[in-house]
Amino acid sequence: MDLTAPDGAATLYHPTPAGLDPKVATREVSVTYGGKLALDRVTLNVPDRSVTACIGPSGCGKSTFLRCINRMNDTIDNAKVTGSIRIDDEEVNDRSVDPVVLRARVGMVFQKPNPFPKSIYDNIAYGPRIHGLASSREELDAIVETSLKKAGLWNEVADRLAQPGTSLSGGQQQRLVIARAIAVNPEVILMDEPCSALDPIATARIEELIDELRENYALVIVTHSMAQAARVSQMTAFFHLGALVEYGPTEEIFTNPLDQRTQDYITGRFG
Amino acid sequence: MQISVLVALTLLVLTAVGFLVGRRRALSAADGQPASLHSLPDYYGYYIALWTGAPALFLLAIYGIFGAALVNTLAFGQLERDAAPLIRGYEAALSQDADHQILSGRLDRLNDQIAGLRAELQGGTHSGDVEADVRRLSALTAERNQVQAGLAERRSEVASGIEARTPDTPAGRRALAGFEHWRATPERRELFIADARALAFDEGLASRDTPALRAAAAALQPVERLFQWSAAGAALALAVAGLAFARSRVSRRFRARDRVEGAISAVLLLASIIAILTTVGIVFSLLFESIRFFAAIDWRIHEFLFGTQWSPQIAIRADQVGQSGAFGAVPLFAGTALITLIAMAVAVPVGLFAAIYLSEYAGPGFRAWAKPALEILAGVPTVVYGFFALLTVGPALRDFALFLGYEDAVTQSALSAGLVMGVMIIPFVSSLSDDVINAVPQSLRDGAYAMGATKSETVRQVVLPAALPGIVGAVLLAVSRAVGETMIVVMAAGQGANLTANPLESVTTITVQIVMLLTGDQEFDSAKTLSAFALGLVLFVMTLMLNIIALRVVQRFRERYD
Repeated sequence: MDLTAPDGAATLYHPTPAGLDPKVATREVSVTYGGKLALDRVTLNVPDRSVTACIGPSGCGKSTFLRCINRMNDTIDNAKVTGSIRIDDEEVNDRSVDPVVLRARVGMVFQKPNPFPKSIYDNIAYGPRIHGLASSREELDAIVETSLKKAGLWNEVADRLAQPGTSLSGGQQQRLVIARAIAVNPEVILMDEPCSALDPIATARIEELIDELRENYALVIVTHSMAQAARVSQMTAFFHLGALVEYGPTEEIFTNPLDQRTQDYITGRFG
Repeated sequence: MQISVLVALTLLVLTAVGFLVGRRRALSAADGQPASLHSLPDYYGYYIALWTGAPALFLLAIYGIFGAALVNTLAFGQLERDAAPLIRGYEAALSQDADHQILSGRLDRLNDQIAGLRAELQGGTHSGDVEADVRRLSALTAERNQVQAGLAERRSEVASGIEARTPDTPAGRRALAGFEHWRATPERRELFIADARALAFDEGLASRDTPALRAAAAALQPVERLFQWSAAGAALALAVAGLAFARSRVSRRFRARDRVEGAISAVLLLASIIAILTTVGIVFSLLFESIRFFAAIDWRIHEFLFGTQWSPQIAIRADQVGQSGAFGAVPLFAGTALITLIAMAVAVPVGLFAAIYLSEYAGPGFRAWAKPALEILAGVPTVVYGFFALLTVGPALRDFALFLGYEDAVTQSALSAGLVMGVMIIPFVSSLSDDVINAVPQSLRDGAYAMGATKSETVRQVVLPAALPGIVGAVLLAVSRAVGETMIVVMAAGQGANLTANPLESVTTITVQIVMLLTGDQEFDSAKTLSAFALGLVLFVMTLMLNIIALRVVQRFRERYD
């Protein structure tokens, strides 16, 4: 995968290993919130069937970048997004793209588990229902079951699907939310600090799950934990003050960073 | 009066002195190192000030509550002892009076007859003509009233004979006062005491001014003065003793700050207890008056709760006809329910939709002026809504109904009162719902949007279910407001106790009837007036139940978001 850096961009790119096809390609993406620059000309390729980790100190723009990919910034009144984001060569930021349809292709998992105030079953069935993915009750049951199995939650909740989703533990809720995202059969899954509200055991379970999901999806994950980025991701992007500083294979970034700021951040000197 | 002002001022000064003494004492105990004290010097001052002021104030409060009653008992007890010869003479005269004995005999027989007839009518074993017996009962009651009046007249004749023979000396007047006090019925006795106090201490205006009252006033004065002085002396002594005691406890290690903290929490506790006790007091007064009412209608509670006839007029004189009084409150409950239903049918959808629009759809600019504008609606006095309903909505609805061919349309109808009440409650529902919708965490909305839900899908399927407990609570609170609302219905719904489900007829509600029963000149011992308290009790129980259900619903379905 080649990434031709545009002239003048400050980003340092490591050579990308072969065999990774780009799924999401962003070019010069900038975001302003009410005139304040939050993301400054970010250009990178997210490979398919792999995990891309976004790291950086708080307020560096990594969550903002994530929210560009499924146009969640649209829900914020004064946010303005420029530049190009393509998923499989289809422009995301185009007016003709319906964000509702786009978000069915790009699932998202948030920092705090946010199950809907509904039963476990209805939480999973929510997406398939609003997008009309199942034509019969049996099909819907099947979708719910496969999604919960993929998220590794089926064995724990199979006999209590009618209970409210909020009755689960924090780690189970987060897996429920991942299952909910999987249920609409997306191509890309975005995760915004998915483990920051969980204990270490639940975190390990989610990381395992992320590793399994890599087989089928392109994942982009924002994390504050360097160790987590090192454990689960293949590619790592380091953001600082709204700019993408350095992007490359995770191993390269962590063992051989090109930029001094990256070096300082991953060794814990700031952030 | 002058004494109490003096005492209050002295107490204030003593308290201030206590504060200064405490500070100085603490500083001298600290040996020039204030930091070595357990608490700041001021706390020692507060501590001593509290010990100086609080017990004395407590004593004065106790005196203020019970002092007058104690003074009256002591003074009039003495007067009645002075009147002992008169009382003996009066009793002797009565026992020799032939008229009085005949009348008492008749009264006893009448009482027996009435009690027997009552028992027969209530026992359910009665087989004969019930109506004739009821007529007989009311005739007997009227006769008894006459006999009682005759007895009272005879007694006062005997008493005035006795009074006329009493010499007009200071001792005689005192005896007269004691005699009058002894002979009076409880209500008259209260009036007599009030008049005596008015003459003695300028507490309001006396209704009469007789030598006996003057004597009673003269008897009251020394006792009262003694009590005032002793209370003042005791309070000041207590203040000084408290000051000395607290001062003796001050030392470097003494935890004055904790003690002051304890006093503050005691004051706060007292405030909440006062609030609770007031509520309990109101409930009990409702309860006791209701019990009097139920006793007055011979405990036919089921008739009150399930009867369909409401006409509370009762014969006051024996010659009034057709005024037996019927206390079936179902028409009132039905009227209340009908108007509440109409009001909620207006307020819930409009209020809820307005809240959803304001919190989910409206831009910040629109919201900034629309929300206060909606809340202005809540500031309109209900009486203004009342004449809006009466003068604008009512006639418009009537004309519209006539236009549609409904001939019996009236201006005062359940519909006009309900509609306007609904408008009144809109801001209540919308403001509370707006709060709970805003309390739904943004993460839930984000989750739904990230699943590809549209705005209205998110609102319907995620935000509203999450906010439901709060919304249900808001609606139930609105219902209890509608049930208790008075002014609009008084003006716009009419007064006829119709049992109807037709919103175009005039109906009446519990609150309207309470107003009707208690406004104007009323006597508080007839079933008619007392029924207002029973209605009030029902209203209280209804709103209490609504609030309990609202709390239960909110607790049961509450999702915890942190």
